[in-house]
Amino acid sequence: MPSMAERPDLTVDLGRGLHLRSPVMVASGTFGYGFDAPQVDRASLGAIVSKGTTLRPREGNAPIRIAETPSGMLNAIGLQNPGVDHVARVYAPAWATWDVPVIVNVAGDSVDEYVAVARRLDRVAGIAGLELNISCPNVQSGLQFGVDPALAAEVTRAVRATTDLPLIVKLTPNVTDIVAVARAVQDAGADAVSAINTYVGMAIDVRRRRPIISRASGGLSGPAIKPLALHAVWQVATEVRIPVIGVGGIMTPSDALEFLLAGAAAVQLGTVNYVRPQAAAEIHDGIAAYLVEHDLPDMRELPIRTASVLTHV
Amino acid sequence: MTIAVERISSSPSGGGQGRGIVVERSVPMAGAVELVLNHPPSAAAIAPGQFFQLAVGAPHTILRRPYSAAWSDPAAGLIGFIFNVVGAGSAWLSARYEGQELDLLGPLGRGFDLEGERPVICVAGGLGVAVFPGVVQALIARGRTVIVLQGARTDSHLLPSNRFQGAEVRLATDDGSAGYRGSVVDLLGNLPPPLRGRVGEGGIDILTCGPTPMLTALIDAARRQEIPLSAIQVALETPMGCGIGTCLGCAAPRAGGGYLLTCQEGPCVRADRIEWSLMMDAFHG
Repeated sequence: MPSMAERPDLTVDLGRGLHLRSPVMVASGTFGYGFDAPQVDRASLGAIVSKGTTLRPREGNAPIRIAETPSGMLNAIGLQNPGVDHVARVYAPAWATWDVPVIVNVAGDSVDEYVAVARRLDRVAGIAGLELNISCPNVQSGLQFGVDPALAAEVTRAVRATTDLPLIVKLTPNVTDIVAVARAVQDAGADAVSAINTYVGMAIDVRRRRPIISRASGGLSGPAIKPLALHAVWQVATEVRIPVIGVGGIMTPSDALEFLLAGAAAVQLGTVNYVRPQAAAEIHDGIAAYLVEHDLPDMRELPIRTASVLTHV
Repeated sequence: MTIAVERISSSPSGGGQGRGIVVERSVPMAGAVELVLNHPPSAAAIAPGQFFQLAVGAPHTILRRPYSAAWSDPAAGLIGFIFNVVGAGSAWLSARYEGQELDLLGPLGRGFDLEGERPVICVAGGLGVAVFPGVVQALIARGRTVIVLQGARTDSHLLPSNRFQGAEVRLATDDGSAGYRGSVVDLLGNLPPPLRGRVGEGGIDILTCGPTPMLTALIDAARRQEIPLSAIQVALETPMGCGIGTCLGCAAPRAGGGYLLTCQEGPCVRADRIEWSLMMDAFHG
């Protein structure tokens, strides 16, 4: 543990006034709306990202919703949430009294729905920012916003025009070229991107002869996807100017440091919150200890310079 | 519209994380293992029917495993778990021996409501019996009359009846090697005379845990015998992720539509809260 005198600066600037005291965030869908999991030490968190929130309440998918797979888990919760009005009316006033900022993850079926959710949250005390979840099925076109740079840019631009809140766009890895989507949302006004959301996968119960998850497929998270997520962050961070938030299978301080070295400005913890409630504190302290050990005053010098790496290969 | 995540007040899942030491490992019945942990805070805090999330170290596993405590002894600081080996996680747990540590998170969720004066019938199917030793002990301590109906595949798969001191135990096995040959649910229709007359009038409470087909058969039998479902409490078993209300993975179909979370509103819920017509397809079909 660093002493007070040599405590490094762990603050992060995600743009548009969104300053975090710590690079350790909790990922959407793994921490509810921040009212549960009292076992997690809030003091080490830079921000809480809420469950995906839609315009109307959603009941979510029929069980079974989750399945463990090797070093990971699949989930298909189905955006169970109480709707944006409840979030703005009931949760936000509580958040306004917290010392950790809460970023609302916004989901929708159409550009209009994203805009309506953003409008309801605009200028509401307690809302520190928005994270656009653009990897949900687009009912209108049968596509996903997140897999098409033009659609991703369209929804980002529409929300950008609706609110001055800090705007993060969460990228899906289920694409051919994640950099193209990242560039598109940057140019459309995103302040930061989080990379990545879950990978689509499935598991089958051979005894029951049916998919374990009721909706057949689900999103794969956990250490199984960490190398994939790390590579996505590496690619995106090299090609965009805005901060990248690294997400995907982080379990330990070393995992988090890999993402910071790959170019992430901050990290989000997901599946580990289910397993080790103390992980956020351990990872926060581990990053601080690493900076002290390497005589770095802050995290700005952490990202590996691509050019120097290239000259070594 | 009622949605589980609307809850804003602190959840029931305020259990702490700790490390218990295995002080005893035994095989209480065929295919099952019983671990006794020394962990005084958990032993003191648990209410019958609550569960713990046990961390497992099996390679390539990641999630904790939810287990109801079988019993606890607060004075001795002990807590017992009975489980069978169904996969990598439970296999790892079954290979824990005296002196080893286990990481446990809990107690979590809501236990059985044990208040009241009426006789209680505990209906246990298969490994569902694991939750009942502590429940029966607590009921007896409250002065309630308790009948345990236990069903299993064979005689050797039954938890010995001496684990239910003070209760009357009736047995059913699939092969007839002990007690009645057939489903434990059938025993509900053949209770001793003083109770038989009270069954249809809401004069008893039923607590149950077991496989989904047994639970749905019990609900069907209850409806036939005009037992109000509100008099039945079920310890639900669903796939579970976090156990603390954040992953929303442990959904069970709620009566009237939507879903409830087993880790928050359960695992022990009144049977009238569940949409039973959807349970078989969700968890067994």
